[in-house]
Amino acid sequence: MAIKYSEKVIEHFQNPHNVGKIENPDAEATEGSPACGDQLSVYLKVDPESHRIKDIKFQSYGCASNIATASIITDLATNKTIEEAKKITWNQAADELGGLPPVKMHCSVLAVDALRSAIKYYEKKHLGKKFDEGLNKKNIENELNKVIYGKIGVDIVSLRLVKYIGVDEKNNVLIEIVLKKDDPFLEDLQHEINERLGKFPDIGEIKISLI
Amino acid sequence: MKKKEVYLDSCKTSKLAPDVLEAMMPYLTDKYWYPGPFTSIGTEIAEAIENSQRTIADSLNVEPKEIIFTSGGTDANNIAIKGIMYANRDKGKHFITSVVSHPAVLTIFQALEKEGYEGNYISANRDGYLNLEELKEAIRDDTTLVAFTHVNHILGTIQQVEEISKILNNANHNIYLFMDSCEAYMKIPIDVKRLGIDALSISGHKFNGPKGIGVLYLKKGTKIIPTQHGITRLNRLKPGSVNVPAIIGMGKAVEIAFKNFDEQIGKYHKLQKLLYDEIFKRIPDVQLNGPELKERSPAHLNISFAYVEGEAIMMMMDFENIHIETGSACSSQKLEPNYILMQTGRTHEESHGSIRFTFDRFVTDEGITRTVDVLENVIKELRRRSPLGKG
Repeated sequence: MAIKYSEKVIEHFQNPHNVGKIENPDAEATEGSPACGDQLSVYLKVDPESHRIKDIKFQSYGCASNIATASIITDLATNKTIEEAKKITWNQAADELGGLPPVKMHCSVLAVDALRSAIKYYEKKHLGKKFDEGLNKKNIENELNKVIYGKIGVDIVSLRLVKYIGVDEKNNVLIEIVLKKDDPFLEDLQHEINERLGKFPDIGEIKISLI
Repeated sequence: MKKKEVYLDSCKTSKLAPDVLEAMMPYLTDKYWYPGPFTSIGTEIAEAIENSQRTIADSLNVEPKEIIFTSGGTDANNIAIKGIMYANRDKGKHFITSVVSHPAVLTIFQALEKEGYEGNYISANRDGYLNLEELKEAIRDDTTLVAFTHVNHILGTIQQVEEISKILNNANHNIYLFMDSCEAYMKIPIDVKRLGIDALSISGHKFNGPKGIGVLYLKKGTKIIPTQHGITRLNRLKPGSVNVPAIIGMGKAVEIAFKNFDEQIGKYHKLQKLLYDEIFKRIPDVQLNGPELKERSPAHLNISFAYVEGEAIMMMMDFENIHIETGSACSSQKLEPNYILMQTGRTHEESHGSIRFTFDRFVTDEGITRTVDVLENVIKELRRRSPLGKG
């Protein structure tokens, strides 16, 4: 079957909304990295009284679907309260775009991630909120929730590919995944898992074992 | 209205030349017959096929009998590599290829490994040249076949085939040399005898010939067994139906290309230089992938654009009806950056922003100029959107 972008994706890719940088933003966050294939930065201006997003801009080093998703997500978030904006999902973004090819789902996750990270940053910095960001099973699972299995465009936790998550006293992490060793997406997944978990500053060795 | 097409992706495929189609037409319509002995219709077709065979043989400096028609480059690779490995298995089950070989070579060896064959995959330097010292060391008493890609499809590197065959000749036993020359044929001169090649594959549709046709050159006396079975019509290694129109078309495409070969190569050099000069003059932060212009295939250029991603470039060029290829992970089905760019020491970022331009005889100066005009704006716009490279 032909893999193609919807007209809506093309439209947002050709003329993306909210591109750029906000000087002195109330919050900003960057997700992904050039090594990972895509990198996305989101900048926010938030009304201090109503906590509504008054201005939002993004910059993308990414493919057409990455740019289009960032465009639609920043549209969706404009004028929303930060509580409302947190609830925007990548499924919602993909639906708004008239669907995305499964292989492209992982590119759309970044925009949602970056928005949520920027909101978290805002909550920490301006609202004094505290978050449990330690290296534990729950937080590792939250990160694995964003790792998309490219073949069908669904994350590896929902697909129940993750069978075990363990952290030892030296902060080494063991993850057991149900996947064949010749799976064409294995390398991509390993790369993505390492990238995601690399965010924990005190993490030791990451071991991914296939079962 | 759709803008005039500029197609710079002959390494993938190319437009069927109108004069080739014209030569094929009678064989798609009135002359639908098969080759055969004695009858007027059978011998007419047989002679037409022999003409094609002779034209192709002349272009490679080989004998017409050494030309076998296949259904394409991949088919020729399979027939040769498996056929030679199987036929010589009593002598040895060891092969040598490279990490930068084309997938149409690598996947065959991967399949053979599952059958108990063993191989060495020799490395290449940043410009894509094979490490010949490693080749010398990899040769064993049971090495049967050495198979490489003649012109690297990603980097445009022309391998030093004469050097390779000298190394094989210095071994104390006979080792066959196979070259996948699909990207080399009609883009660089190939004198098979001088180069010392035993078997070589070419593909019809990469130089304005028809799709679904290829050629295996096989040196007389090569020990090989058939890997496909059926009625022998032209050659026992490729049984079954004979694609007469495509054989005629391929012969015609070779005749046209070979008639003005030097002139066409000169034209490729000029187009390549124009494209290179204009990009480097007008677009900052770019880098050439593969050897310098005077060394590489003249019909090939690969350039990385910093801070932007290749699929986005490719899509924006496509909106303007300009067609190119990228090594970005985003455009690959496995989400992995191109393996050759990675194996030859580039970063993910260099690979993601890489664009390949390959030529055929319909590429013009005007097309190249329009490409750079559009490309300059595309890169500017994507860099405006990018968080990278802002100092």
